[in-house]
Amino acid sequence: MSDYKYIGRSVPIHDAQGKVTGSLRYAGDMVLPGMLHLALLTCDIPHGIVKSIRTERALALDGVVDVLHCFNTTKERFNRYRNIHGQKLINQEEIFPERVRFVGDRVACVIAETPQAARAALPLIEVEYERLPYATDAKTVIESGVLDDMFEDGAVYPAPELINGEQPDLTGTTITQTQAHFDRQSHVTMEPQACIADYDPLTGQATVYSPNQSVNGLRTVLADLFDLPYHKMRVVKTTMGGSFGSKQEWMAEPVALAAALHTGRPVKIVFTREQAMLSTITRAAFDGKMTTHVTPEGKVLSVDIETVIDAGAYLSNSLDYCIVVSSKIFRCYTFPYVRYNGKAVCTNSPVSGAFRSWGTAELYLLVEHHFNELARKLGMDATDFRLKNIVKLGDVDKKTGVSLGDVRIGDCIKQGREKFGWFAKRQAAEAFNAQNGRFLRGVGIGCGGHGNTYFPRREDFGAAQMRVSEDGTVLVNISLHDHGCGTVTAFQMMIAETLTIPIDQVAVGEADSSVTPFDLGCFASRTTYVLGRIAVDCAEKLKDLLVATIAKADGSEPEAVKIQGGQILAGDKHYSFADAAQYALHTLQQELTVMHQFVADSNPGVTGAHFAHVEVDTKTGMVAVLDYLAMHDIGKVINREITVAQIQGAVAMGTGCALTERMTPNKNGRFTSSLKDYHLRNCPEAPDVEVEFVEADSIGGPFGAKSIGELSLVPVAPAIMGAVNDALDASLSYLPLTPDRILKHLANGGESR
Amino acid sequence: MKLNFTVNGAPRSLETPPDQRLLDILRNELDLTGCKEGCGEGECGACTVLLDDKAVLACLTVAAQLEGAQITTIEGLTENGKPGALQAAFVEEGAVQCGYCIPGMVLSAKALLNETSDPTEDDIRRALAGNLCRCSGYTQIIRAVKRTAKEMGAE
Ligand code: FES
Ligand code: FES
Repeated sequence: MSDYKYIGRSVPIHDAQGKVTGSLRYAGDMVLPGMLHLALLTCDIPHGIVKSIRTERALALDGVVDVLHCFNTTKERFNRYRNIHGQKLINQEEIFPERVRFVGDRVACVIAETPQAARAALPLIEVEYERLPYATDAKTVIESGVLDDMFEDGAVYPAPELINGEQPDLTGTTITQTQAHFDRQSHVTMEPQACIADYDPLTGQATVYSPNQSVNGLRTVLADLFDLPYHKMRVVKTTMGGSFGSKQEWMAEPVALAAALHTGRPVKIVFTREQAMLSTITRAAFDGKMTTHVTPEGKVLSVDIETVIDAGAYLSNSLDYCIVVSSKIFRCYTFPYVRYNGKAVCTNSPVSGAFRSWGTAELYLLVEHHFNELARKLGMDATDFRLKNIVKLGDVDKKTGVSLGDVRIGDCIKQGREKFGWFAKRQAAEAFNAQNGRFLRGVGIGCGGHGNTYFPRREDFGAAQMRVSEDGTVLVNISLHDHGCGTVTAFQMMIAETLTIPIDQVAVGEADSSVTPFDLGCFASRTTYVLGRIAVDCAEKLKDLLVATIAKADGSEPEAVKIQGGQILAGDKHYSFADAAQYALHTLQQELTVMHQFVADSNPGVTGAHFAHVEVDTKTGMVAVLDYLAMHDIGKVINREITVAQIQGAVAMGTGCALTERMTPNKNGRFTSSLKDYHLRNCPEAPDVEVEFVEADSIGGPFGAKSIGELSLVPVAPAIMGAVNDALDASLSYLPLTPDRILKHLANGGESR
Repeated sequence: MKLNFTVNGAPRSLETPPDQRLLDILRNELDLTGCKEGCGEGECGACTVLLDDKAVLACLTVAAQLEGAQITTIEGLTENGKPGALQAAFVEEGAVQCGYCIPGMVLSAKALLNETSDPTEDDIRRALAGNLCRCSGYTQIIRAVKRTAKEMGAE
């Protein structure tokens, strides 16, 4: 163990007490004076034109204030995914479109004095539609052209081809092609989307309180949509009941603000679970094809990847998503030549959007499945095969040219298979399966790599401000967007460690677009790496200021003053932070405050290797995870137990993605919209997950830390899929591997290769 | 209808439609917003409360079922305004992340501990089967329940 006082220890997160006693308020729990309530009407046909809307009966209901819909609300278009001013995107979406494009598209909202009245009025709204032909999958859209006129520019959006490296001499290599698929998936944050919008017609001040990942991005989208000046549009981030990407796009806020502007009163909207599943965002259905040339020794020389991202009814972020899928390929493996092509295709399905890892989990599903097939073909062990193709310490990311620095996927694989007992488990599984019983066992490995910042793909920077109060406590002003995984506490720990003071003497707020410094938002797993670095550097600056202040007060040279154990030492005299703050106030007539800005200039490789041991019940098609190890090259752990818990959560989520979680359409084009039909891992089913870290103090981040939140999901589905295939001696890669799919495979004589 | 029942030890009496959900009564009438709505259809457990010491789903329970009932919500588990033993164990074990599932999770655990002071891990897992958590893999939650049981046994 290091001699850090806080870094690497386990500290309960800052608002755990409020959460566990029920006293903490999420957006849906907040009440403002005079507040109205919204209920959203969504459409139940997959494609059509709204011909008329009759609201008389709804308006006649007691407590109903008004109904907003496409014939009385702005027609201005926006992009739900825009997160920075000036971002070049296609704006396809209206708050209430006249042309509805999927079951779940927004049709109208009731504004009422109580939530009950708002809900009761919904069935009284009469909507007449003209139906249009529809398609809920990308293949049909591409082949039939049925949605060619859904938008001005059609429905199919190709990503620019990426070619990296020169095609090497391929003599003596073997060519292999595989495919992999994910069904559409839901984030299922336990807190559905909710927000409150407020507007004061006298001052023109608009305020939105919402659990969102970017107060600044959201503020510009809302202000542009309603033509408000940016300084009168304030967005306050509220406690977030989980996001996983689903609260980085704007579905609830535009509706609530339209109603607040319309009524001049605060308005609250809370999505139902059905709306959270259908009418927010989902992970796109994904199809990938991978073709490689591999040497007999197992080195992959040439890679060709084609992907199709089912964007759903609005393009939103899907073209960027499709492009980004290619960008993580060199974060774990290196190949002399890669060609990537992909397209995003609009369909009459729920809208696709950001999902934890932003396409990286999809990419590695494809790659890891392919590698399992190659290893098998060459008669090699799956872990050995990966070791032949991984990036090494000091390699550069071939896509960006930026150093991967301290990347340790090799250590993850080698130490991981040791700890997991990979070879022993593999042998034991073979022996177990040789008995030809009802149950079959297998092992699988999944690897993956991710980033820690946008750098160098796009600009990445941020700022922090710190102030010392009269009693020596420290106020930190920085635009954090805690998703619930302890960001605020991690920052308290890093700042307290730097300043050598107790954690509870550091107050760290969250993002408020009118108060905290500009920030891009919590995307790209950048918070700890970029903003954490900024906070630590800012705290160092604050230390310099404390030293300079006490030097003045004490009449000594700054070189002779130092900070230790929360005290400022000048010779044999001890001063407190409070002494410094009070001297500054009363004598220097200044506040002790510093501001620090920083532009990210590094992005080391951050990787993980997961190992799964499963048992398949050949009678029911059910898969039980017997053992699981997640090994992460994390640089440095900040808050240990909560990091472990976050990774275990990723494994539970990824296991769901691998085995059960899928949104599929019924015959009327309505996708799965209930937790009755959408199965997350529950407590009895969740695997016991062991988590281990390779800690080797990377550079660039705070205390050597790298990212974890998104990466931790990436290896999970590949590891589980690999283990199932090992058990069944199969090549199943159409995920999730539901009991039905497994039974069908077994019924077909187990032929899948 | 006129409803007389007890919430967190205090007698309450209110006028309500008989089909009003307990979830709405707690949240809207009594301002007990620790009771969360995660699905509204009995699938997530976020709305779990105790009815006469047994775990029930407040989204599926209506006023007509409540006459004379004793309801305990997450707010009712605090001791002198501080987290009670089970709540404190959740905090200390790192079982709380986004927290949205936590009130329901704690109350399901409480119902289990009302029945047995020495639950096995399987008992705990089964008792929490209806409470979904998307942030964790349940490990710290299970540990918090075990720890509380142990502390209770030691007393
Ligand atoms: S809200 Fe009651 S079970 Fe989900
Ligand atoms: S802590 Fe977030 S859902 Fe359980």
